[in-house]
This record gives sequence, C-alpha cells and structure tokens, in this order.
Amino acid sequence: MECNNARKRIGEKVDGLLPPEAERELSDHLAACPACAEESRGVSLVGPAIKAFLDASAAEAAPRLDVLWTRVRAGIEEHREARRRPAWIPMWAWLSAALALAVLVLLFYPTGTARSPFNPSSFDVAVEEVESETATVALVDKGEDLPRVIWIIEDGTT
Amino acid sequence: MARRNLSARPGAATLAFLLLLLFGGAGAATAAEGVSVDVGCVYASNQGSSMDPALGNIRGKLQSMFNYTSYKMLDRQRRSLAVGQAGDYAFPDRYTMRVTPLSAEGKKVRLNVQVTEGPKNLLTTTVGLSRGGMVLVGGPPHQAGVLIFLISAE
Repeated sequence: MECNNARKRIGEKVDGLLPPEAERELSDHLAACPACAEESRGVSLVGPAIKAFLDASAAEAAPRLDVLWTRVRAGIEEHREARRRPAWIPMWAWLSAALALAVLVLLFYPTGTARSPFNPSSFDVAVEEVESETATVALVDKGEDLPRVIWIIEDGTT
Repeated sequence: MARRNLSARPGAATLAFLLLLLFGGAGAATAAEGVSVDVGCVYASNQGSSMDPALGNIRGKLQSMFNYTSYKMLDRQRRSLAVGQAGDYAFPDRYTMRVTPLSAEGKKVRLNVQVTEGPKNLLTTTVGLSRGGMVLVGGPPHQAGVLIFLISAE
C-alpha cells in the first residue's frame, strides 16, 4: 500500500468505515511507515476531541431545548383546545343567535332613510293653498313633465 | 305540549317570533292605510358642476327647471304617517318641515306642509298629489346656494 492511499484510509478507519481486510492492509503499512503511523495517531486524537466538544455543547443547550419544546407542546395543546371548544356549543344555539341578530337588525334598521334613488311616477300636483307669514312665496309651474315648485323667497335673497 | 316543543327548540321559537314580527307588522301597516312621505333635502349651488346620483330620474328635471350647476342630496328621510298624524323632518340650518296627511279619496294623497326656520314660519301649504307623485319646495338659502326639498308620497 502506498502512503497516499494509506492516508486516505486513515480517516475512514477512524470513522469505522474501513472493511476488515483493508484495515489489516492499513495496519501492515502503518507498522512499516513511521510517517503514516504518526498521522494516524494524530487523527485518532482529533476525532474523540471533536466528539467531546459536540457532546458538551449539546449538554449545554439541552435545558433551553427542553424549555422550547415545552412551549411548542403547550402551544399545540392550546390550539387543539381552541378548535374543540366551538363543538361544545350546540347547533341550535348558533341558529338562535343568528335569528336574534336578524330580529335586532329588523327592529333597529333605519327605515326613515330610503336609499333607492327618487323615481316619481307623476308630477300632477294640485296646490290648494299657499301662505307665508315671513316670506314671499311663488308657485312655479313649467308644464306637466316638470315638477311643480313652491319657491320661498326670504328677504329677496333667493 | 306546544309550549314544551318551543322551549326545546329556541331557534324555532325565535323563527316564529321573527315571522310574527314581519307579517304582523305588514298587516298592521296595511290596516292603518297611512301615507309614506319621503322628503329629500337637496343643496343646489353654482359651486362646481356635480349631480348626485341619489337624485335618480329627477336629475334632468332639476337641470331643466333651475340654473344651478351642482346638486347634492344632503339628507333624505321617510315617515309612515296616518291621516292626521304629523311627521317632523329636521334639516340643516334649523330648517324643519312638518307634513300631515289629510283625508283624500281614491289614490290621491293630500298633504299639509309647513316649513319653518327656527321660530319663523316660512310656508304653510296644502297640496294634493297622486300616490307616487312629487312636489318641490325650494328657496331657503344654504351656504352659497339654496335648499330644495323633494316631497313624494306613496
């Protein structure tokens, strides 16, 4: 086995990915090559150090992750409760509420205000009497097709 | 037994009340043979040149009769009045109108109309018109123009 090939396999050995036969070949090479043996020792030391560092970080973050997960679970439960609650109210209660609302709308609807545009069917008007105590009043009649107008003239202003 | 059923179904009870309200109210209105008096208050001026769509087919009539360039519906009120029952309509600038339906024959409507400005009585008139007909009362000054009241009865 050449050194280049052996150095590639050192990493695989540390990761446990090297087949037994290849591992034997690598061991034979390391026994005969001090340089590769030195690199193998170095890599073997670095791997456990990284693992120890990651384990320590995970242990440090564990309480925060627990709190986060607790919150997430509580949120999920609360959402489920909120979705379940309307089902407890019977359908007839909703129907009653809707009808009660309709009654209220009918009772308090502003009937004094009409919203449809004016559409008079006739302008045929008989003015029986007109009088004013404080203004001059004129009766304007411009024909059957036009409305009759009673015009109030206050102080000659209009 | 019937009472028990209604209390068991509040929705049905409410529906029954609603129907009673609708049909009972309609029946009462018909029995009274009142007059629905609809009064619109229009502000006519020469400021701008707009025509309020709410005026419906009366727009062309107003333009034919008056020389104002702008017509705007300020208010519109409707009262259902029995014969002899006075209906009061309040409008801007302390103008008020009191309309009292009088007895009339057939499809005719007779209205006593009184227009006041605060304590001043500006107009007292009695008009007869067909149901669905309209008469105009105008002239009271308002801002840069005048008010025109559209009175229709059904």
